[in-house]
Formats: sequence, structure tokens, C-alpha cells
Amino acid sequence: MLYREAGQFKTTYAADQQIFPIRQDRLGILVLLVIAFLGVPLLASEYWFSAILIPFLIFALAALGLNILTGYAGQLSLGSAAFMAVGAYAAYNFQLRVEGIPILVSFICAGLTAAGVGILFGLPSLRIKGFYLAVATLAAQFFIVWCLTKFPWLSNNSSSGVISTQKLIIFGHELKTPVEKYLLVLSIVVFLALAAKNMVRSATGRAWMAVRDMDVAASVIGIRLMPTKLLAFAVSSFYCGVAGALYAFCYLGSVEPDGFSLDMSFKILFMIIIGGVGSIMGSFLGAAFILLLPIFLDIALPFLAGLFGLPFASETVSHIQILVFGALIMFFLIVEPHGLARLWQIAKEKLRLWPFPH
Amino acid sequence: MSKKIGDVILDLQNISLRFGGVKALTDISFNVREHEIRAIIGPNGAGKSSMLNVINGVYHPQEGKIMFRGTERKKMEPHMAARQNIARTFQNIALFKGMTVLDNIMTGRITKMKANFIEHALWFGRAKKEELEHRKVVEEVIDFLEIQHIRKTPVNRLPYGLQKRVELARALAAEPTMLLLDEPMAGMNVEEKQDMCRFILDVNDQFGTTIVLIEHDMGVVMDISDRVVVLDYGKKIGDGVPDEVKNNEDVIKAYLGAGH
Repeated sequence: MLYREAGQFKTTYAADQQIFPIRQDRLGILVLLVIAFLGVPLLASEYWFSAILIPFLIFALAALGLNILTGYAGQLSLGSAAFMAVGAYAAYNFQLRVEGIPILVSFICAGLTAAGVGILFGLPSLRIKGFYLAVATLAAQFFIVWCLTKFPWLSNNSSSGVISTQKLIIFGHELKTPVEKYLLVLSIVVFLALAAKNMVRSATGRAWMAVRDMDVAASVIGIRLMPTKLLAFAVSSFYCGVAGALYAFCYLGSVEPDGFSLDMSFKILFMIIIGGVGSIMGSFLGAAFILLLPIFLDIALPFLAGLFGLPFASETVSHIQILVFGALIMFFLIVEPHGLARLWQIAKEKLRLWPFPH
Repeated sequence: MSKKIGDVILDLQNISLRFGGVKALTDISFNVREHEIRAIIGPNGAGKSSMLNVINGVYHPQEGKIMFRGTERKKMEPHMAARQNIARTFQNIALFKGMTVLDNIMTGRITKMKANFIEHALWFGRAKKEELEHRKVVEEVIDFLEIQHIRKTPVNRLPYGLQKRVELARALAAEPTMLLLDEPMAGMNVEEKQDMCRFILDVNDQFGTTIVLIEHDMGVVMDISDRVVVLDYGKKIGDGVPDEVKNNEDVIKAYLGAGH
């Protein structure tokens, strides 16, 4: 009986249409933000920041981008990592070639560049759907990585396209420690996640979902399919582009084109499948799950093997990881296509009724 | 009935539509007057749905002229029909099944919303104001069709009859001047049919909406429509007020067979 809207009477449409209509949700988000902004920086160690929290936030952002395109607008894409690469290299080049450009501005420009490239590779979506579109976006994946290796100008003539990112200077202050970088990434991710939530709960999001659910009916209602689909590609690629820029500047510090491989695109796709297709929170859950599972297996498997006195080679861990991922994805596709986010929603619906069965 | 039927709003002249070698519609002419309920009937495969698809721009006839509000219509896309205030429902329910009832109906007002995605993302400017204004109109439609209790329910959890009603709500939310209904009562029980008839008559009466309706239930058609056009094998075989059509030899032949 803790989680329910009983007694929270809405007397205006404004109250009913706020971003989190249920009071417990509002409190929950607030607590989460306070913990993320104040609690975590006090408690977590350097390792946690640079190896877990920062990549988690960055991948959650990329997954969010893909979720806008695939989950909300229904256009399957296998090019997320390529759009991240565009973002990373664009941010690097803006920093390198534009005198005195603030780092945040170059992140935004990186996102916009990725959005432009996204629109270009989204054009086939006007004619083809589903599986075939996925193959068309696969072209983006290979073409962009090839481009970044082929044209040395893009990586400032470095060998094999490796770039080392510039210093992170915000308002004259250089961000050096992982905590500072974490706070920067967190702020950007929170801002963009709220923006995404706003988009999907308003007319923009409804147009996307209408196109996803039934495009003929959508166009009869007056939705123009072409701008709607291309907007989804643009916004999605913008998110991936910013994620890519953060990946280069705040996480690795130096990246190469081959780092943004098809593997990474699939990883982001798995995040939204496991987390929840068509759910903002699902993107975060999926990213956490995919990133934490290998770490968990790394610790748990040798321990288990030791328990039974079995010989255990270190490469077995990575083999088992692949097996577990494969099994989990099949499990989710069959049992719960809407992912962890749906499980969470079911739990909430149960909580609303608790302690009564129905 | 004491309602005022106005001038011709939609005039279809010699419409022919082919799909390759298949003639779906052959040389069909009829008109629709403002504020009337115009029924299109005919046996299966007569071209009724094709006719609606021609009216709202999904199909483009090879021959013929469509005059809407006195101007000839050039090649048009479905979303342009929506902007000319023509709304429709589908024979097989075409709701957005991943969305709630409220969101489905809100989508019906999309042509009237001006805010762009940046305003939506940052929730400033016109975005918030529009969401509230349009919510108000949508709530009126919800009240009108008596579906208040399900407004937050995802549509795929609703029974068939209610889904049909939600689809009508989505069409009405656009405040159309012309409403195309493709078999609004198919698969309904008697009570649901009565409700639906009441809603159609009320829409026509209260908002003055012109209604073009395809329906198989002859009782319903003859009761609620002002004029009826009858199609068979893509040709027009009858046109007139219900009593005329009922006694038309060709119509009886088409429905009951030649040797009755």
C-alpha cells in the first residue's frame, strides 16, 4: 500500500500531465538524483568512477538514443556505434580546428554532426522497413568506420586513425579527476534523459509511436511520415553522437575507429532488448545489466569453480560470458520482449494492489 | 428529422480506379452534401472501401475528377486529406496499440499542434500550453463517447467494441467536417450497435459533421442515413433516399441474386 496513487487527486490537467504523475515516482527520482549527484561522489572509489559509473552513463545515453529510434519510432538500426564514432571524431575536430570553442559547444556540434549523418543514413527508411532497414543501417556502421580510417584529415593525420582527446576545460577549470568527469557526464545524461522523456510524452513522441504502431493510420490522421522518421533518426543520432563524444573525452581519452565496431552496436542493441524497448528507464537498466554482468561473472565464476575444486582458466570466463549473453537475449525475446522495464512495471502494478491479490 | 442539409461538399465525377488489370471502380459519380449521412452499400468486393480510400487520398484514381468544397483536388496524400478536415476510421481497427486510449485520441489532434520537437524536449514555449489545451478538447470527446473509465488503459487491453469506439474518438478529436466510417458496426452485438448508431447520429446532429458510412447492416443503414449509394462489382447501381434504394430492381438483384 506504499506505492499507489490513491488519495492523490488530480484537479487540473496540468497536474495529470506532469512528467511523473505519481508522488512516489517523483520522490524516487529526486532521491536517485540526490544520491547520484551528492552521495556517489562521496562514497565511490576512483575505480568505480572510471571503470563502471562513467561507461555506464555513456552507454545508457547511447542506448537511450537507439531506444528513441527503435523503441519509439520503430526503425531498427545497427549503426549506433558508428554514430558514436561520428560524435567522438566531430568533437575532436571541432576542438582542434575551431579556435577557442568551449568544450560543451563542441559536444553539441558533435551531436548535430551525428544527427546530420543519421538523417543521411535514415533516408532508406522512407522506402524500406524492419529487417531490410537494419541491413541498410549496417552500411552506416561499415562506411563510417572505413571513412575515419581512410581520410587522415579526420584524425589529424595520426597513424591508423587514433585520436587523443584534448583537455576538458569548462569555464576555465580543467576537469582531471574521475569524480569531476563523472559529474559532467551525469549532468549531460540527466539533462538529455529528461529531454527525451519530455519528447516521448508529447506530440513528437506520439507521432513516433503512431508511425511505429501503424503507419497507414498515422498518415491518415495527418502525420507526415518522412519528417517524422527522419526526425527520429536525427534525434537518435544526436544522442549517440553526444555519447560518442563523452566516450572519447570523459572515458577513454584516446579512441580509434575500430573501437566503434559492429560489436559495440550490437551491445547497445542488446541493452535496449534486455532493458526494455520503448522505455527511457529501460535504457538505463539495460546498460547497467550489460556492463555489470561481465564484472559479476569475473568475480563469481572463479569463486564458484574454487568452491567445487575445478580447474579454471581465465579465458573460460569470457567464453561463459558469451554463452550467458546469448541465453539471456533469447530468454528476454521469448519471455519478456519488453525487458527489465516491463518487469519493473509489473512489480509496480503488483505494489499498487498489495497486500490484496487483485 | 429537422436538420438542415447544405450544399454539395464533395462531388465525385466519373471515378475509375484500376489495380493493374483489376478494375476496382468503374465510372462512378455521386456527391455528398454538407451535414448529411451518406451510406455506401454493396456486396463484398463491390469497391466500397476503395471508394473511401479514394476520398481520403490513399488511392489515386486513374480517371475522374474529385471536387471538394468547390475546388478540384489534385494528386494528394493522406496527410493532406487530414489537413482538409477529413477524418476516418478503418474496417480493421487501426489504433496505435502500444499507446493508451488518451494518447491515441491526443494523436488525432496532431495536425492542430504547432510546437516543434525542441519545445517539446525542453517543455517550454507552446509545448505545455498546447498539451493542456488539446487535452481539454480530447476530454470533451471522451465525455461525448462515454469512455472516461478507460482513458489511461493501453488500447490492446480493450474489448473489440470499445476499441471501435476509441477509433471513432480519435477521428472525432480532429474536429472533422467530414467523417468517413468504414464498417463502424462490424462484429458488434446489438447493444454495441445501438450505442454506435446513437453516437453517429449525435455527432451528425451536434457538430453538423458530414458522414460517409460503409455498413452491411441494412436495418442500420436504412434507419440512419439520408441518402444511400449502392455499388456492385465496382459500378454504381443505385443512388437515392433509403426508400428508393430499397425498391430498386438492380439493388434487389445484386443482393438476392437474379432468380428470386
